[in-house]
Amino acid sequence: MAYKQFVNQLRKTGCQLLSSFCNESVKPQKKEKRSILHMFDPMPNNSPFDINMALDAGFDVLMPYSNVKLDNIHNLTQDAIFSRGPSGVKRTALFIGGRDMGLAVDMLDVSKRAMVPPFEVSVFADPSGAFTTAAALVACVEKELQQKHGKQLKDCKALVFGGTGPVGIATGVIASLEGAETFLVDHLSKETADDAAKEYNRRFNANLKGAVAGSDEEKAALVADADIIFCTAKAGIQVLNSAILSHANNLKVAGDVNAVPPAGIEGIGLNDFGKPLAGLPEEQKAVGIGALAVGNIKYQLQQKLLTAMLETDKPLYLDFRDAFKKAQIILK
Amino acid sequence: MEKPFILHMLTTAKNLSPFDVNMALDAGWVSAVPYINVEPSEVRGLVQDAIFSRSPKGLKRTAIFIGGRETKQAMDMLKMAKNSMVPPFEVSVFADPSGAFTTAAGMVAAVEKALADKFDTTLEGKNVLALGGTGPVGQAAAVIAAKAGANVRIIGRQLDKAERIAELCSNEFGDGEITISAGADADKAEYIKTTDVVFATGAAGIQLLSAELIASAPQLKVAADVNAVPPAGIAGVDAFDNGKTIEGSVNGAVGIGALAIGNIKYQSQNRLLKKMRESDQALYLHFEHAFEVAREFIKESS
Repeated sequence: MAYKQFVNQLRKTGCQLLSSFCNESVKPQKKEKRSILHMFDPMPNNSPFDINMALDAGFDVLMPYSNVKLDNIHNLTQDAIFSRGPSGVKRTALFIGGRDMGLAVDMLDVSKRAMVPPFEVSVFADPSGAFTTAAALVACVEKELQQKHGKQLKDCKALVFGGTGPVGIATGVIASLEGAETFLVDHLSKETADDAAKEYNRRFNANLKGAVAGSDEEKAALVADADIIFCTAKAGIQVLNSAILSHANNLKVAGDVNAVPPAGIEGIGLNDFGKPLAGLPEEQKAVGIGALAVGNIKYQLQQKLLTAMLETDKPLYLDFRDAFKKAQIILK
Repeated sequence: MEKPFILHMLTTAKNLSPFDVNMALDAGWVSAVPYINVEPSEVRGLVQDAIFSRSPKGLKRTAIFIGGRETKQAMDMLKMAKNSMVPPFEVSVFADPSGAFTTAAGMVAAVEKALADKFDTTLEGKNVLALGGTGPVGQAAAVIAAKAGANVRIIGRQLDKAERIAELCSNEFGDGEITISAGADADKAEYIKTTDVVFATGAAGIQLLSAELIASAPQLKVAADVNAVPPAGIAGVDAFDNGKTIEGSVNGAVGIGALAIGNIKYQSQNRLLKKMRESDQALYLHFEHAFEVAREFIKESS
């Protein structure tokens, strides 16, 4: 009120110029609301990786929610959308983490259905960073496949080692949906691999198969006719050594996401992007993509998807399919 | 744009301490993110998740704080965190379970100053009695004082527990370079006769050293008490005291109360939190570093 009186006083005393200046530029701007990312996670804690990424993407405030169940998502979503007004919801978004790809996609779905337009916010699911890691991995491999070998994913047989973990399953689903004949490889049990393949085929209309390879002999037999090898196994464990890889006569591209030495696939350097695998005979033309090369694309990808939620006018609902499309664009 | 300062705060408890959260934000960390009910076995996964999402440059603006209630567990988690780094993907880590490390550092530094000011001496060769010394603050204070050359005895109500803790302090935290002894609370009248310094670090509201015992301590020089809740842990020492002569001490011993210690503790924690923000290389901080900065602060302010 004091401000208005001050401006009126100026008008009365004829200081038109000053008063119009006050009206135009001195008038306090309505401050934009701080951006908030509500991070829902079924696990006991959020991933520090995602926290760093979200803050680096420009979110002002992060709120972690741990031990979140699917049943909680509807209410949490509606709680988040009704407190800020339609302009405030544009500065609000949801992130879904966890370890389980199926659960994350279900949560994304429930959350989307809980929106009440115009009270509606963007939602991005990336459990364990698996969607963006898998999307980056498959897109990098696809690029090298085209550039070095003139092939498409649909022409290829692909193996996913560590195929029953979150990144492995997401990698397998993306590759399969792109048309590759894709096997999820478990190191202990064929049944585990088959179960995962069946479940995700049903969910996403994919065409995955299961396989097991524990010993070096089993691995050598399995890689013999593979065009593509994805390694998404546990960090710090070498899954495939050069002796095994020497049996992979059809191998065109191999990608590894393990950044903790030793590498998951021997002969691939952390920063390799399309470099021939070291330690293999010359007639084998396979090239490798290392964990930091994949990580670099994954990083840009996750950053872009997070930023997109801050910039968009219309709410976005982002899962592994959106991540893969965006990764392809980044690599072009 | 520079990346925001992020402190990932891990605790084995079901909540972070609001004290630590305030301290972190006041020390310039932009975001303080809680991770609760953390199992020590989860440290590796959390650390590696934290280090791989920023470039080495961005990691200079990232750090990890380890809270919780237990000294040994926090030190183990600190070691685990350090071992999980993959240089150049590496961040600083600071362990301060229940604020015990910085509290102990504040107390020992205040005692050291009182020894110098009033008795013109150091901790070297002094007999220290850590009353109620089996808790986190007592443990850290015992180790810091022993490393400064004092002969420290941890006193507890149960002798076997005090012995166990003394051994843990000597071997785990002192790397076997120090020897801390143990004693039962029932025998403290005997020990007090040869005691130079008393630390009172028991539960709040319990008197650990009576006026009678003070009167029977012919060489007592300094008595410090971290308890701010009446009755005081040491008869005649109140929370505000900072070098005031204790009534009834035959040797003119001085008292240091909880608020004087708290002030140095605050400075020590603040400085370590800031150090992690400013350091060019990854730091792994615990009670020893807390003591270094507490000494620094005392030196600057005197």
